[in-house]
Amino acid sequence: MDQHNTGASRLMDDIDPDLLAFIRNRVNSFIKWDLVSFFHDNPYTVDTADKIATYVGREAQVIRRELDALAKSGVLTVSGTPDQPIFGLASDPAVQDLVRRFHRACEDRQFRVRAMYHVIRGMQT
Amino acid sequence: MTRISTGVPGLDQMLKGGFFPQTANLIEGAPGTGKTTLGMQFIHHGITACDEPGIILTFEEFPRQYYHDAAGFGWDLPGLEAQNKLRVVMSSPEISLNELQRVGGMLEQHAAAIGAQRILVDSISHFERIVADRAALREAVFGFVNGLKRLGLTILLTRESGSLFGGDPNAAHELAFLVDSYILLRYVEIDSEMRKALLVLKQRGSDHARDIRQYEITAQGAVVQARFKGQHGLMSGSPTPSPADAFGEAFGRTRASRAE
Repeated sequence: MDQHNTGASRLMDDIDPDLLAFIRNRVNSFIKWDLVSFFHDNPYTVDTADKIATYVGREAQVIRRELDALAKSGVLTVSGTPDQPIFGLASDPAVQDLVRRFHRACEDRQFRVRAMYHVIRGMQT
Repeated sequence: MTRISTGVPGLDQMLKGGFFPQTANLIEGAPGTGKTTLGMQFIHHGITACDEPGIILTFEEFPRQYYHDAAGFGWDLPGLEAQNKLRVVMSSPEISLNELQRVGGMLEQHAAAIGAQRILVDSISHFERIVADRAALREAVFGFVNGLKRLGLTILLTRESGSLFGGDPNAAHELAFLVDSYILLRYVEIDSEMRKALLVLKQRGSDHARDIRQYEITAQGAVVQARFKGQHGLMSGSPTPSPADAFGEAFGRTRASRAE
């Protein structure tokens, strides 16, 4: 247990606190990770969950759930109607900066490994 | 009267100076004829040479694909986005139409944020799958185009032809009535070589070149060249030598380049 905590602590220490919070509180699943990457690469995409599911090649129902969560955490914005919400990347410069930093950090394999560790840990709790 | 330069060498000359401001202009052609390249060139030229920010609205291709393709011509689209002079927006036709009808909708916000004056819509063909029939298509595109004009944008629409060569059996002729200019791109086979032909079919309120010209996609983008000579039936995709040319060939005249 101690050993586990020590390992986890080391992994957390190595990550920029902003990015660590971003991963733990907002990008806390691999699908959200995919979606954040998608919106980073295509920052002015605005569409329904069904369409975005097609764009990322995943199942619409799952994507809808994850988009809702990302919207709730402020990474995405929602407009349109309750029947047909449409999602886009938040225009808040602070959020866009976090998304950019996260994406840049993900280019480093060591960071990805650490980030994956935190996502998996978050999914288990 | 003010004209909007397309940025495509040779095309402005065919259009007698370019498009008119706040008009809808259609480029139709088979896959690979260079519609998107011409469209990106129109937007890039507007930003970099005319100080006219622009929007690329895509219904299928991912923005990153545009960034990649544009980079091949030396056009830095992400850099222009960072300068707030460009937005590459991906959405579906139905959402774009709804948002355009809404006060303060997504396109209106983007246009206002960067002071956009030009838009490339790539491609209008996608409207054809969201409407039931041709009458509904005309109405949807009419509303869409009017909404974009209301935002003060000069519009370039692309449309994919249903066939690689010759005329398009599914041509949306009704769209021709809605747009202010109509440019056709075609593959043409001459001497076992594929070439590309461009024709300005219509330009409302202005004279325009009526000849069929060869064009190429170069490392710097599309370039319209001289007219084809000595060929009949170019728009069929498989032209034949004109009688005078055929006579010359039959009697030994050299088959020098038919496209000057």
